[in-house]
Amino acid sequence: MTLTGLAFRNLARNRFRVALTAVGVAVAIVAFMLLRTVLNAWGSASEYAAKDRVVSRHKVTFVMSLPRRYYTDILAAPHVKEATFANWFGGKDPKHEHDFFATLAVEPNTYFHVYNEIQIPPDQLDTWKHDRQGAIVGSMLAKKLGYKVGDRITMQSGIFPGDWPVTVDGIYTSTTRTIDQSTLFFHWDYLNDGVKALRHEPTWDQVGWIVSRVDEPGHAADTGIAIDKLFDDRDTQTLSMDEHAFGASFLGMFSAIFTAIDIVSAVILVIMTLILGNTIAMGARERGGEYGVLRAIGFMPGHVALWVVAESLFMGLLGGLIGAAIAWPMVNQGIGPFLEANMGQFFPYFRLETSVLLTGILAAALLGAAAAVIPAWQASQLRVVDAVRRVA
Amino acid sequence: MIPIRYNVRSLIVRKATTIATAIGIALVVFVLASALMLAAGIKKTLGAGGRADTAIVLRMGSDGELGSTIEESSVALILAAPGVKADEHGKPLGAAEAVVVAAMSKIGAAGVTNVTIRGVTDDAMTFRPEVHMVAGRPARPGSDEAVVGARLVGHIKGLEVGQTFDLKKNRPVTIVGAFEAAGSAYESEVWVDRELLRQAYNRQGFFSSVRVRLESPTKFEAFRAGVENDKRLGLQALREPTFYENQSEQLAMFIKVMGGIVSVFFAAGAMIGAMITMYAAVASRQREIGTLRALGFSRFGVLTSFVIEAVLLAALGGAVGAAASTAMSFVHFSLMNQASWSEIVFSFDPTPQVLVTALIFGCGMGLIGGILPAVQAARTSPLKAIRG
Repeated sequence: MTLTGLAFRNLARNRFRVALTAVGVAVAIVAFMLLRTVLNAWGSASEYAAKDRVVSRHKVTFVMSLPRRYYTDILAAPHVKEATFANWFGGKDPKHEHDFFATLAVEPNTYFHVYNEIQIPPDQLDTWKHDRQGAIVGSMLAKKLGYKVGDRITMQSGIFPGDWPVTVDGIYTSTTRTIDQSTLFFHWDYLNDGVKALRHEPTWDQVGWIVSRVDEPGHAADTGIAIDKLFDDRDTQTLSMDEHAFGASFLGMFSAIFTAIDIVSAVILVIMTLILGNTIAMGARERGGEYGVLRAIGFMPGHVALWVVAESLFMGLLGGLIGAAIAWPMVNQGIGPFLEANMGQFFPYFRLETSVLLTGILAAALLGAAAAVIPAWQASQLRVVDAVRRVA
Repeated sequence: MIPIRYNVRSLIVRKATTIATAIGIALVVFVLASALMLAAGIKKTLGAGGRADTAIVLRMGSDGELGSTIEESSVALILAAPGVKADEHGKPLGAAEAVVVAAMSKIGAAGVTNVTIRGVTDDAMTFRPEVHMVAGRPARPGSDEAVVGARLVGHIKGLEVGQTFDLKKNRPVTIVGAFEAAGSAYESEVWVDRELLRQAYNRQGFFSSVRVRLESPTKFEAFRAGVENDKRLGLQALREPTFYENQSEQLAMFIKVMGGIVSVFFAAGAMIGAMITMYAAVASRQREIGTLRALGFSRFGVLTSFVIEAVLLAALGGAVGAAASTAMSFVHFSLMNQASWSEIVFSFDPTPQVLVTALIFGCGMGLIGGILPAVQAARTSPLKAIRG
């Protein structure tokens, strides 16, 4: 029997206690993996953004809009292959008062060219392009609120007064995880004409943001700078950046929450270490006599320390594996699909990544070993005479 | 009954184990208390701006000041509605203001955030008596000067007294003072001259909101009827406290739910820790338990004694955790409030209710974690135990 084999065997001696500890570790690891997945899910949209798209917005704030004519200017800029624009409508369906979904008024002929990862059956897209009051809805949204092609929806907006009826012409799906499948798209012209009729002057001929696609990703940064220079002397200045930077800049608003989750996910590991340390210390204390005997027959203090540390490492690893076995199906079959379907605008992609899984298991094992450092040192420092005497 | 002193001494004898378990529980209680304190702080900050005798008018359908637009011509009608209080010169007390948000860089974090910029008139401070300067001086009316809420100072780059920022290109605004407003959300805003703001943001002819002081809170219904009955105006009136409650509800709920879920997970972990400790305590004290039973203490007595020990252990951890969490009241936590699309700096509010809830939660963990081991202790046969 090897030395580590002995440590492994020791686990089986107080099965009940080891099982309890492993469950404790498993609970902690599940919590840890969940929290890390939340962080990843929020960050994922910006991380998987297209590298060849440049977003231009109002320099001071993204709630202020840009003049429509800027679009023509941007189209003429060097390296810009194609461009499109959109407005945040802030709409909801009064029949589903409490279901939030994004509503965007977009340029119908170009938007789905620039965002070519959004997939719409060609006949539906064609119908929509010719239907001024048409809408394209995401498959998740359609499923959740029961929208079908041909349905009439009367939208209301927190920004634009009045009723805005639209017809569902198509349903989109997406090939990438950055696209939330719960958005409703409709024609920008429809919005603009409606706004004109309302004499709602500040928002006439205005677009929320302009997205351009450059000929190759390497030109994205320079193109952004060039676009901003175009409007530097105009009434309204722009701020352009590639899609990744754009997404990341939004995350700044949530930085305090990210930090809090980060800290909390570390706290659960500390709690786990305390549980492990406590168990292993109890075991080492109870076995003082045995260690004395082993020392008496020639094993060195280092051997004793090794047994204690190895046993704790195995226990942590066991808990980590159980935790992983619970977290994996729980997130990927349960919570993940549920959040994607119901809170797609916050979590378009909520899955447990392999890297998080491995980090969790590894953390359980290593912190198990770390938790055993003090008990191991104490056990190895026992004087043989004292240790053996304890037996009696 | 077995004296509680026995339990206290038992905990002290095995102090390493006691401390490890208590720290685990303390951390859980700390996390829970912090989340509840933050939710309380959000309610307090967003609620502090609301006065019962003040009404706010927005465009029908708008949930916040940012999305709302009110035509300039409607303001006179709003101020003429029934119930609006007049000042000593007979002028109705009201504030028509323009609100936008600007993207600014945070200190100590990557990315930008939205800061509310409020265009005010020179009587904004008389209208809100709780607002007072804590640094510098008030802005001169009609000038390119701004005052900033005290909570923004040190959180957002460029918002220190004496610095300037660009409202738009070539329109630098100088910050001449910082103000406090009884802990309300105003403390996370920048105030500039109303006309300057409307000009810079192309909002001529429109305001975002109109606030009015009412003769008394009971006049609200009459005022509302006056404002809302004219459908052409398309306006809605809300009591200010109601408005702020709507604004804070979602965020406070989000924090509470998040904190609750995390705490339950953590509690499960720490409870298992307490269980392990108590099982070990029972196992190593077989003889003691046997002796107690032989002395005539009942099974139930032993059971209660061990449950009490577990609760004591948890209460110790809970007290440490709750005490430590009060230190969070020195931390400022800035959050994006979706209702106003801007970032508001909140504080953790250690209300007695929060601390008691957290403490009870901690003791509950001890109670649940201690029951099974206590049952095992109670089932110990005295004869077998003493024999060893």
